[in-house]
Amino acid sequence: MKVLGSNELIAAVIDAGLCTGCGACVSLCPYLKSHDGKTALLFPCTRPEGRCFAYCPKVEVDLDEASLTVFGKPYTGEPLGHYIDIKAARAGHKMKKGNFQAGGTVSAIMTYALQKKILDAAVLTGRDGLRPVPRIVTSPASVAESASSNYSAAPTVSAFNQAMKEGYKRIGVVATPCQALALAQIRSNPMKEKNFTDPTALVAGIFCTWALDYRRFRKLLEGRVDLNAIIKMDIPPPPAEKMEIFTKNGTVEIPLPEVREQVPEGCGYCFDMTAEFADLSVGVHEGRTDSNTLIIRTERGADAVNGAVRDGYLEVSDLPKENREHLAAAAGNKKRRAMEKAAGEGLVNTGSGRCAAVRLSSITVQRGGR
Amino acid sequence: MSYLFDTKSGTRYLMMGNDAIVRGALEAGVGVASAYPGTPSSEIIEQLSRASRERNIYVEWSVNEKVAVEVAFAASIAGLRSICAMKQNGVNVASDFLLHVALSGTRGGMVLVHCDDPGALSSINEGESRHFARMLELPLLEPGDFQEAKDMTAWAFGLSEELRSLVMMRSVTRLSHASGNVTIGDLPPTDKKAVFRYDGPLGDPDTGPVVTMPVPKNHVLLQNKLKKARELFEKSPFNTYTGPEKPELLIITSSACNLYSLEAVRLLNAGGRVGVLKLGTTWPLPPELIKKSLSRADKILFVEEVLPFTEENVKILAAEMAAEVGIIKFYGKNDGTIPMTGEMNPDIVVDACAKILGITYSPMPADYEAAAQEMLKTLSPVRDLTFCPGCPHRASFWNIHNALAIDNRHGFTCGDIGCYTLGFLPCGFNTMKTSHSMGSGIGIASGFGKLKQFGMDQPIVTVCGDSTFFHAAIPALVNAVHNKSDVIFILLDNSGTAMTGFQPHPGTPLDATGHELPDIDPAAVCRSLGATVEYADPFDIDGTQIALLRLMEEGGARVLIMKQMCALSPAKKGKKKFEVRVDENVCIGENCGCNRFCTRIFRCPGLVWDQECGVAVVDEVICAGCGVCASICPSGAIRKTEARA
Amino acid sequence: MKNSGIGNDPFNVIITGVGGQGNVLASRMLGNILSDQGYFVTIGETFGVSQRGGSVMSHLRISGSSAWSPQIPRGQADIVVALEPIEAIRVMAYYGNERATVLSNTRPIYPVGVIAGEMEYPDPGSIREALGRLTGRVVLIDATDEAMKLGNPILGNVIMLGAVAATGLLPFDRDDFKTVIARSMPADRLEINLAAYDRGREMLLETT
Repeated sequence: MKVLGSNELIAAVIDAGLCTGCGACVSLCPYLKSHDGKTALLFPCTRPEGRCFAYCPKVEVDLDEASLTVFGKPYTGEPLGHYIDIKAARAGHKMKKGNFQAGGTVSAIMTYALQKKILDAAVLTGRDGLRPVPRIVTSPASVAESASSNYSAAPTVSAFNQAMKEGYKRIGVVATPCQALALAQIRSNPMKEKNFTDPTALVAGIFCTWALDYRRFRKLLEGRVDLNAIIKMDIPPPPAEKMEIFTKNGTVEIPLPEVREQVPEGCGYCFDMTAEFADLSVGVHEGRTDSNTLIIRTERGADAVNGAVRDGYLEVSDLPKENREHLAAAAGNKKRRAMEKAAGEGLVNTGSGRCAAVRLSSITVQRGGR
Repeated sequence: MSYLFDTKSGTRYLMMGNDAIVRGALEAGVGVASAYPGTPSSEIIEQLSRASRERNIYVEWSVNEKVAVEVAFAASIAGLRSICAMKQNGVNVASDFLLHVALSGTRGGMVLVHCDDPGALSSINEGESRHFARMLELPLLEPGDFQEAKDMTAWAFGLSEELRSLVMMRSVTRLSHASGNVTIGDLPPTDKKAVFRYDGPLGDPDTGPVVTMPVPKNHVLLQNKLKKARELFEKSPFNTYTGPEKPELLIITSSACNLYSLEAVRLLNAGGRVGVLKLGTTWPLPPELIKKSLSRADKILFVEEVLPFTEENVKILAAEMAAEVGIIKFYGKNDGTIPMTGEMNPDIVVDACAKILGITYSPMPADYEAAAQEMLKTLSPVRDLTFCPGCPHRASFWNIHNALAIDNRHGFTCGDIGCYTLGFLPCGFNTMKTSHSMGSGIGIASGFGKLKQFGMDQPIVTVCGDSTFFHAAIPALVNAVHNKSDVIFILLDNSGTAMTGFQPHPGTPLDATGHELPDIDPAAVCRSLGATVEYADPFDIDGTQIALLRLMEEGGARVLIMKQMCALSPAKKGKKKFEVRVDENVCIGENCGCNRFCTRIFRCPGLVWDQECGVAVVDEVICAGCGVCASICPSGAIRKTEARA
Repeated sequence: MKNSGIGNDPFNVIITGVGGQGNVLASRMLGNILSDQGYFVTIGETFGVSQRGGSVMSHLRISGSSAWSPQIPRGQADIVVALEPIEAIRVMAYYGNERATVLSNTRPIYPVGVIAGEMEYPDPGSIREALGRLTGRVVLIDATDEAMKLGNPILGNVIMLGAVAATGLLPFDRDDFKTVIARSMPADRLEINLAAYDRGREMLLETT
């Protein structure tokens, strides 16, 4: 796969409206910066190839290569990606009940992994008012501070890059699907660095149907919500069709169609609902508010789950078959919609040099997300 | 001994044109001198301030050119001789008041020295201020060399008193900032008395109230003054002719162009064919002298800067005198013999004369010229203008540029004229997007800040210097605050009028002669208007950028004062705060993650790229030790340590 | 007035360099030295914005008869004193001729375009060769390096003046220089300036 430079990155991703602000190109150099969800090139960089391009999850990523890096096997295009097992999960008795979303599974696993020194640092995404703020956390007690959903696209991978720069070697990351894909690319050593070792120790993916453009979302809420007083945000299950914003001054409801208008264009090309390139993926457990769906994808993901269960940080149970089928259907729908959109705009397998979106094997293209 | 204090007439000095003007003013017994600094005029007041105590002169750096003329005018109508100095566009600033001074008339001799800058060597315009003389109906003088600059200045005060009119005297960069030999004259006694008499009848030029009304009557009086000036100029020794009685070609010239013309005649060895009429009194033109000169030759070449001022005025007279002077072929700017714009030099005059006279002249053998031009192209890389090493503006624009880029809403910066004008160039990271007259950045920004209703959501930043703030920015800031315009006004406070040589201004605690004065706090001025005011140190890169990003979230007129003293200020010059060096083992050079960020992007002249080793190096001769580059190095390779005192 | 002791009348000297190198000061010192001897001296200078990293030139006209244009005509330089080597080329390209004498400092000051990697700065050999093609009289002097040995790189300009004196092309000596320095500088600067002058003189004599 050919690596190009920042100029091509800007043209193919940012100017083309595909950027989700994941932060993969940020904190590597002084040229690219992320602010309020938007990524900017401050000065022209003349290097013909750079990590900014190599790490980006939106520049014609070869999903086979990414899949080989993480799973040792090619990408299949199945709705839920490669996995070992799917469970229902929630925080165990070692975890204090707190301000975490649904079952608290991600917080539980990250707390456990930091506690047991499986990780030397965890990259999480907290919130400052409405603004998502990626953080490097080294103490298990600090995990809870970044436990709540914020729905806005966040430059989490920039904090991961920063953690690498600071010399952390076993980094845990809580990542959205696009961020997990960026991490898979980082792990594939695209710049062919000598003495390269995988800087990640555990990538905990979170399900994502879309994220919000922070700036547009903030504009939507301005005047309706005191942004500094936000405690928690939630989207209750259908048919509620609303977002609930809990603040110190009470709860504000925003109709979901209005919220959905603030989704960045780049999310429309996303094939991945369940963070397929993570070690484990966590999301809603349909019909339950006290539990999560947990997809265990890799050996190290399985080790982390088993250890967390053994030491009382996590409880797991079987996920009903019906839930699995609904999840797969939803994930398949997202994949199909994205592929149709991307293919319709010529953003699949561009052919001449690298351009945009994804590179897929012809079999996967034929499957079309089914 | 300095020429300022030498009372012995007849001594010969090598002095700048501006010094010659100063000596002329001293010999005329000037009592009050005021100005706003502007290249190439600034040395006039600087030098007069040195003589202020000994020669009993009140010298003032005024807040702007209009006020400077008002201050000098007060002295004139109190019976003193006064002088004002300014650069070409200063006359524009002062012109409203000048229009009224022309009509009201003066008492003590009053001279306005306006120094034009043909070629815009130190300006962002090529304004031709001579036209004001015609427009304002004021007499205009132009010295043609250094001795004349002294003599004419001294004479101009008497002329002013004889005409009861302000006299304009125009210099140019190549005279003001060039030097030549001047033989000095006597200095008068220093006792002077000021009193403003106003009890006489309206219209009495010595004792009445000084007003412009009744306008119809005063306007007639003004025209009569010009008529008288014309008569006086007929016999002026400052209008000279050199050459044969009936030359083939007559050059009509003035100011520094006189020297270029004489040089051209010498180089072409054409003294027997070309005559040079050098005019020292260029408005109003003396018609009899012009008639006599036009009768000398039927080919006339005008050599002047910048616009064809004398050319057009002479042509009007030639049309009126057509019956007497006959048909003349005119060469000059209007027919393209001489370029309409830009600075003149001897070579342009040589080319023009050679063409008219059919002389072949080549300044260099063709093969020599070809070789020289090739070397110029391949071996002498152009020196783009840049901020000095250690200049706070480099850091300020770095912060503004980065904050605007990070904010990512296509925000931009409006500016005006000062050293910081270079902010539009790569040395200022191409940050400044508009640049016009003093104070216009905030005025333009005030307008931009009201375009929201048309869908404009770009953040608007404007910058001006501390001296400019007082000169012309305050009314525009009032406008922005009052009209609730959304702008960030950044005061680039480097503690002085840095560009013109660090003159004091109302924000500094000293006057022109170094005595203490109350300094006016720009922050307090801004706050009193209702703007929010914050401070930042531009050398604190992170802190300043965070402050800017926060301010961009807010509305209304916000003021950020970026305070850091000019690197050339007397307090800082030659003193390094930090010793700066690059750790070559840490510098990652051209690799991903840097790509020569300090030399390629930050571009301080104190940094050099070592091509062989692939690392940045600090040039200790150039580096001013500000230490800012240490903050921008992405790998921490640039190290700064406190310099030993 | 004087009308001997100079080769051509007017005799044309260009002192060139980069803003901040003491170019203006050097031209005034030389101008005053010659004015003291009765010559008409005209100096043309540019400063102001051009000082900010740009090329800075002073033109000196020395004449027994009158003031001349503060801008030297094309191809008419008699001596070019360059405080920076590529500035010597720039000046020679416009004002040079085969009889001109070039005295150039060797220490480069890189234009920002060179620092930024957009342009190349020529190597010392090419500069020497180029100047040699334009005139037979080229002397390169490590003025800045010597000035740093004396404690201040700015003294490079005085070292170059010492070198000019040693050429014998202009009628002045150490005492004339000393008189002007004593008049225009604080007394405690006299000795170091004289040392720089002497060093420049020696260096020229060593190289020629």
